[in-house]
Amino acid sequence: MTQLVLLLLFDAVLLITLLGLALAAVLSPEPRRAVMLFIAFGLWLALVWARLHAPDVALAEAAIGAGLGGALMLAAARRAARARRQDAEAEP
Amino acid sequence: MALILLLSMSAGLVRVVIGPTPADRMMAAQLLGTSGIATLLLLAVALDVPALLDVALIFALLAAVSVAAFTRRRAGADRA
Amino acid sequence: MELILHSVAAVFVAAGAAFFVTGTVGLLRLPDLFTRLHALTKADNMGLGLIMVGLILYKPDPFYAVKLVLLWVLVMVAGATGSHLIAKRALRRDGEDLQ
Repeated sequence: MTQLVLLLLFDAVLLITLLGLALAAVLSPEPRRAVMLFIAFGLWLALVWARLHAPDVALAEAAIGAGLGGALMLAAARRAARARRQDAEAEP
Repeated sequence: MALILLLSMSAGLVRVVIGPTPADRMMAAQLLGTSGIATLLLLAVALDVPALLDVALIFALLAAVSVAAFTRRRAGADRA
Repeated sequence: MELILHSVAAVFVAAGAAFFVTGTVGLLRLPDLFTRLHALTKADNMGLGLIMVGLILYKPDPFYAVKLVLLWVLVMVAGATGSHLIAKRALRRDGEDLQ
């Protein structure tokens, strides 16, 4: 009984934080920060899948969604920042 | 058991709140990864799903990859 | 006997969780990046180690124990390398915001 209540509380915390992270990631103005939040969101979503007794989906989510996707997006953000800076230097 | 799990979970939650501070998001992400591993290990015992250990392994790998990608980004930006 | 083992395991896991909370508080409260890094990595590795000791005691099975210890070693190596990289970047001061 107590365990059930505690697990329910756990789920509530998990859900609220997940929604907050998603909103923050979507609404953040700066690309690098958005990518960081996306990585955290991937980790969190993997936890949710684990809680739902789906370890295989959690594995895929952690590896692809957060790990590889995050690294690739970090590289993309770097190139975007560099291109913008070069444009700004060429402009004046 | 589940209570301690919740405790570690809330530690992770606080860490997410500090995630978007200006300088050290990456440190926060690393910490989040480790606390996620701890939470997964406790969940594996609490829910009786031993396969979650493998997910924890992937978490560990992932944290290393993302930290490396982050610092490489800074190095590249420095050179440019 | 099993009860004793389980309570010892619970104590270990609680200590590990306390380390995690301490690390989080340190990350929130300490003034600059290096002290934060210091507080965080140490608390982090110790916390995970204590939780793993607790779990090994809770479920004494050799394969399980070996897997947990290997995971712990991997986390330690990755954490040390990552912290070193972050600290080096910060020391060279190559810009917080390069946008």
